[in-house]
Amino acid sequence: MIEIKNITKTVRSGADDLTILADVSLEIPDGQFVAITGASGSGKSTLLGLIAGLDAPSSGEILIDGENITVMNEDGLARLRSDKLGFVFQSFHLIPSLTAFENILIPLEIRGEKDAKERASNLLQEVDLTNRGHHYPNELSGGEQQRVAIARAFANNPKILLADEPTGNLDSRNGQHIFELMTALHDNKKTTLILVTHDQELAEKAERQIRLRDGKIISDKENSQG
Amino acid sequence: MQFIFNLTIREIRSSWRRLLFFFLCIAIGVGSVVALRSLIQNLSLAVGTDARALLTADFEISSTNTFTPDDISRIESVINKSTLIEARNETITTAAMTRPSNATQEGLQFVELKGIEPPFPLVGTFNLSNGKPFDFKLLENKGAVVAPLLLEKLNLKIGDKIRIGEADFEIRATFDEEPGGQSGFRLGPRVFIEKKAFEETGLTRSGSRIRRRILYRTSDNPTPVVKELREALKGTILTVQNYRETQENMGEQFVRTENYLSLTGLLILVLGGIGVWNVARVFVEQKRKTVAVLKCLGADSRKVIFVYLLQILSLGLLGSLFGIVLAQLTMWFVGWRFGTELPEKMSYNLANSAVWQGMILGILISLLFSLLPLLQIRQIKPSLLLRDTNNQQMRRLDWTKTLFAIFTLGGILGIAVWQAGSWKVGTAFLVGLGVTSAILYVAAIILTKLLRQTKKFSSFSISQAVNSLYRPGNQTRIVLLAVGLGAFVVLAVQSLQANLVREFDFTRNEKLPNLFMVDIQRSQIEGVKQLTAEVTKEELNPVATVRTRIAMVDGVPIDYQQKEVRQNQGQIGREFAVTYRPKLEENETVIAGKWWDENPSKETEVSVVDDMARTLKVGIGSVITFDVLGRKINATVTSIRKIDVRNTRTVFMFVFRPGTLEIAPQTFALPIINKIPAVERARFQRRVIDAYPNVQIFDVQDILTTVTKLINNFVLAISFVGSFVMLTGILILIGSVSLTKSQRIYENAILKTLGAKRGSLFTILFTEYAILGLLAGLIGAFFATILSFAVTKYILEFDWEIDYGLILIGILVTAILVTLVGTLASFDVLFKKPLSILRSQ
Repeated sequence: MIEIKNITKTVRSGADDLTILADVSLEIPDGQFVAITGASGSGKSTLLGLIAGLDAPSSGEILIDGENITVMNEDGLARLRSDKLGFVFQSFHLIPSLTAFENILIPLEIRGEKDAKERASNLLQEVDLTNRGHHYPNELSGGEQQRVAIARAFANNPKILLADEPTGNLDSRNGQHIFELMTALHDNKKTTLILVTHDQELAEKAERQIRLRDGKIISDKENSQG
Repeated sequence: MQFIFNLTIREIRSSWRRLLFFFLCIAIGVGSVVALRSLIQNLSLAVGTDARALLTADFEISSTNTFTPDDISRIESVINKSTLIEARNETITTAAMTRPSNATQEGLQFVELKGIEPPFPLVGTFNLSNGKPFDFKLLENKGAVVAPLLLEKLNLKIGDKIRIGEADFEIRATFDEEPGGQSGFRLGPRVFIEKKAFEETGLTRSGSRIRRRILYRTSDNPTPVVKELREALKGTILTVQNYRETQENMGEQFVRTENYLSLTGLLILVLGGIGVWNVARVFVEQKRKTVAVLKCLGADSRKVIFVYLLQILSLGLLGSLFGIVLAQLTMWFVGWRFGTELPEKMSYNLANSAVWQGMILGILISLLFSLLPLLQIRQIKPSLLLRDTNNQQMRRLDWTKTLFAIFTLGGILGIAVWQAGSWKVGTAFLVGLGVTSAILYVAAIILTKLLRQTKKFSSFSISQAVNSLYRPGNQTRIVLLAVGLGAFVVLAVQSLQANLVREFDFTRNEKLPNLFMVDIQRSQIEGVKQLTAEVTKEELNPVATVRTRIAMVDGVPIDYQQKEVRQNQGQIGREFAVTYRPKLEENETVIAGKWWDENPSKETEVSVVDDMARTLKVGIGSVITFDVLGRKINATVTSIRKIDVRNTRTVFMFVFRPGTLEIAPQTFALPIINKIPAVERARFQRRVIDAYPNVQIFDVQDILTTVTKLINNFVLAISFVGSFVMLTGILILIGSVSLTKSQRIYENAILKTLGAKRGSLFTILFTEYAILGLLAGLIGAFFATILSFAVTKYILEFDWEIDYGLILIGILVTAILVTLVGTLASFDVLFKKPLSILRSQ
């Protein structure tokens, strides 16, 4: 369960304070597929980053399974991410110096998993890239890179998967493929999936859709389709 | 741990090219330290630090006079009651001229003559060239055992006779190695004769520089006997030498030389460290995203820092190993290039202790210089994956960084002190380096700022090139510092050399003698003058010389048994040749007191050279007591002189007023100024020696050639080390080029899409490095000139001349080198296709 209580995020922009998120509160139960939508600059990526503990709110609290992550230090947050969170980015963010297989291996090795290699192989198979495991990111297409990123995000069986515009850099066919892959994994592993997207069509497929504008929630509804 | 280890290996696999310069910086620094240390250690081994073998005894008593009955009784009073003495012998040594006894055979040679008596040697072995041990019978009835070089020089063979002084000796054997013979500068090959035959040469009568020694072998540590002897010999000019003390002194001297020289190596290593710091800094900058991803995947800062630290330490270790390989190659090169000038027994392998020190230094420097940049990893926020903020925070100084910066400085200081073997020298080294670097760095900032203000460049390429020097993340100042420091060291050494060589260019001294005769007896002087005048047709001015030692200064005896005096033997404890004359020489000026009038006086007055006055701590009115063959003469210091050594014939530390020394036993020296052609010169020398066998003739030209060769080798050695500093600077340049390459590629891609031709891009590239090289050359040359001026004027104390040619060449060579290296290292950038680059951004 994710509980977001009255969070505000302001940043300095020149001489002024710019409010990115203003007094946002919401709860996301375990296993739910939530889409966060909104125009550029509405604060959706910031919200996602705050849930992942990648950044700290200016005020308010975020609780994950009852634990207040806003008071955690960097090491505590790293542990939280290692144990409970998976992340997929718009621009993939694979480590360029590692092969596809090694990129998937990393979170498992950080956790000190004994059967890391076997599990990474299985994940590579699940995203249908068995033959591309020894390739470096720059040798893969955008779609392939995002599939590696998804396999990496699911490597540690996260309770929560956070995806920031995962299809934004892909053509529609590849985008569709990636979306299906994520939702399939969400269904199979009962993962909470929070998807930030511009794509209304994709958002409609989620169980719940939250719309943001100027840092505020303007709608929060259950999708009939999702 | 598994994660750290695995990721380190994977990162090295992909980043090793980028860190290659890091690796090379360490390798060159370690190589320099290991090579320099090994060289000195091997040299000290080769010349022999085994003081007992060098002394050929456990202790010795020596004197430049004959031992008086009083001396002997004092010595015996101690020796006779000692139970330690196992054996004793006496030796007598001098330098002498020798020639074939056969008058028709040409040739003349300086030799070091040693009269010995059995048992010889007391310590060590003495083997002949034929492999047999030395047998004293060979010397009986005027036999001689000689170094093979003498046979070669005089074209003689075993069985031939040589004439030394007034006696003939039959060469009975040659030897390859004599006991105690490895060390020191030699005037000529060694000749052994019987001690009692030594008297027959007549050399002992002529006042030649003769040293007599009584040597002892003991059954145990000789220190107690030596102590008692020193007590008994107080007030005499005899010196007692204990091999144990000599051993300590020699050891200390070599260790000190080794430590000081290795500081030069450390300079290269610290410069390499700056390279390491630069590479690590840019490396962390480039790895920001990877670090953010790792943090996002759950790795904490400590783990990530460990990954990169391990990577750097592995490369530091590999770099150090490669440095050791480089050091071995350097040693072989030294052997090949300088082998003939270094001792024959010198080893060109690396010394184990040097290898270990090099390894430890390499790893420590890698660690210390990369620690601060690596700490920036802590401040990399994973949120940059969502929004790439300009990570200014990375560079901000916080408490941890300040602490680590202090730790790093302390570490470098520790290394400097460890390497120098002294707190004072180590600290001075670090402060000196810090100040020099700071000055160069500030100069670089000022120059680049000035350049930036000069905005009116008509050419697009030049203004782009100037702009490139300021691109974000530019390496301009660090390159200027590194290359400038290299140019500075090399040019400073070269400029000093130019001034040194000029100073020691004796051909500019018209009064410098061509030949120099010494030990001419009073009865011989007229004859020698006549013979010489026939050949040289010049006015001859013989100089009377009296051999003395200093017994007291202002009534305080110089205690020759005291440690400092023994250690300062060369300065004040030695025998001095003094003279007396009414007038100052042209090259002398009185700087204190007054020169006497020309009339002889019964009052004994002496004029002292300024350096010697300082050493002896005497001034006008001080009284120095001289010992002339046992007779004490009190002389009042009435003037202090300065001598212009460049314009001199003779250098006398002490000159007496006429009136006292005329009756003392004396010999004459005769400088011959006019040049005599080589063949005639040899013939003339032979004629002199045939007629006056005790006279010694020095061929000044030979000595000068040796001195010049020594200076040149010394300068070559320093320039060799200096070129390593330059090489490290160039490496840092190449490293910097490769570190900023991606940015350059991107800029070029944009310029290409905007219509810039490859030619224009090349001009930009070329101009950028030409400016950089020119600035580095200017900075290096400017400060090198200042240093050379300061050292010449205030430390060496002679006139300094600016060498415009050298400065110009220095600036040009640096500029060309930087332009070439920079352009070549970035050349491939020009051929990248813009589309793929712009798409990948």
